[in-house]
Amino acid sequence: MELLDLWELFRDAAPILLKGCGYTLMFALGAMVGGTVLGFPLAIARVLPNKALRGAAAAYVSMMRGTPLLVQVFVIYYGLPSIGIEFSPFTAGLLALSLNAAAYLSETLRGALNGVSRDQWAAGYSLGLTYAQALRFVVLPQALRTALPGMSNTLISLIKDTSLVSVITVTELMLATKELIAATFRPLPLYLAAAALYWLMSLAFERLQAWQEKRLNRAHAR
Amino acid sequence: MKTPSRLLATLFLATATTTATLSAHAADLLDGVKSRGTLRVALEGTYPPFNFKDKGELAGFEVDLAKLIATKLGVKAEFTTTEWSGILAGLSAGKYDVIINQVGVTDQRKQAFDFSEPYTISAPQLILRKNETREFRNLEALKGLKLGVGQGTNFEQKAKATPGVEVRSYPGAPEYLQDLAAKRIDAALNDSLMVNYLVKTSPLPIKPGAPVGDVEKSAIPVVKGNPQLLAALNKALADSFKDGSFKTVSVKWFGVDVSKAPSER
Repeated sequence: MELLDLWELFRDAAPILLKGCGYTLMFALGAMVGGTVLGFPLAIARVLPNKALRGAAAAYVSMMRGTPLLVQVFVIYYGLPSIGIEFSPFTAGLLALSLNAAAYLSETLRGALNGVSRDQWAAGYSLGLTYAQALRFVVLPQALRTALPGMSNTLISLIKDTSLVSVITVTELMLATKELIAATFRPLPLYLAAAALYWLMSLAFERLQAWQEKRLNRAHAR
Repeated sequence: MKTPSRLLATLFLATATTTATLSAHAADLLDGVKSRGTLRVALEGTYPPFNFKDKGELAGFEVDLAKLIATKLGVKAEFTTTEWSGILAGLSAGKYDVIINQVGVTDQRKQAFDFSEPYTISAPQLILRKNETREFRNLEALKGLKLGVGQGTNFEQKAKATPGVEVRSYPGAPEYLQDLAAKRIDAALNDSLMVNYLVKTSPLPIKPGAPVGDVEKSAIPVVKGNPQLLAALNKALADSFKDGSFKTVSVKWFGVDVSKAPSER
């Protein structure tokens, strides 16, 4: 019976797929944290009055968004050893994903910062706040609310971008699926199972996003 | 509680139906080949000297062999290049008629495909760093060490079946050779014929290691249920072995007749 066949396939594949999920989550979560930690200062660097800083940040964002993530992963893992910098697959993957995510996140945040009315800055200064204080206490909290959906977009995409670490020998979900397919010759059910697992992981983060949005929208509730 | 289980059942059914439909086919593939006048051949195109692109044109031992077989069938060869990870799936889905890409004959693959008579008999062989002093006589000697293999290859499955060996799967030979030279892995595993070619052409400091494991046969896989195409391929191969045309092609690329076991060459 076809269905029984499928059930056996999934039952045998489950431990390997779940192990792959573990690696995917590890990279996704790590890169989310890394990307956010790097993205915030990057976004602020792009709006600061300092021209040199703005230029450097803009160049970084342009390069990381404009080049394929696959190439970035490759260069960090296979290319850097030739100049003496060696990373383990885990570190290299995390670094590449974080650096890349930071570029996209900084743009979302920059847009949100620009979206906060000039009056808010003026109001902050009129209260005697410095630039840094106005940014931190008045503007940033308001910007976060607008930035959240865009940032969640990048972060949820990151879950699927982790599949690229397969080229540096990490057996995350996508590679685990391909290995199972190579052994069992059932590509369609296995790819669909992998897709379902990616979706489940994304759903979890969507819930997180909804919760955060609710929190940030408290002041605007009707 | 009713809605989720219903959704699950529908999803299950949809998957089962699609998989069933994909495996259904009516006439023998040979009829299609004859009426089209072409034999659709899939290969990687990134696997010198077996099949690769030379200045944009496909070349290599298997490209020549495919053209030879097509001529014996009275048709022309039409090539499709595809990544190894999807190549067998494409065959199942009927995207092409045959794969001529050093497909190793394994029991697992025989469950899904019919294989022609073997046209290459070779053994897996280790690749080591040039300054490697340790001797590895077999795969077991790599216990506790790192072994690099290509993703989805039967070398990967062989390596994984050896207990205690840490297997690192790479997208391809250039990647694991790089890591071998960078000392991230202790050895790499590939086919004997390939190893000689890699050591000769790669600028990296590598040398061939010992042949490990049993001699393996590569043949042409065909989707099950096409006895006529299989018979025609076998006849074409047999004729090419007999009249020496296979030997000419083989010697051109390897200097030996690869259809004979290493001990018989």
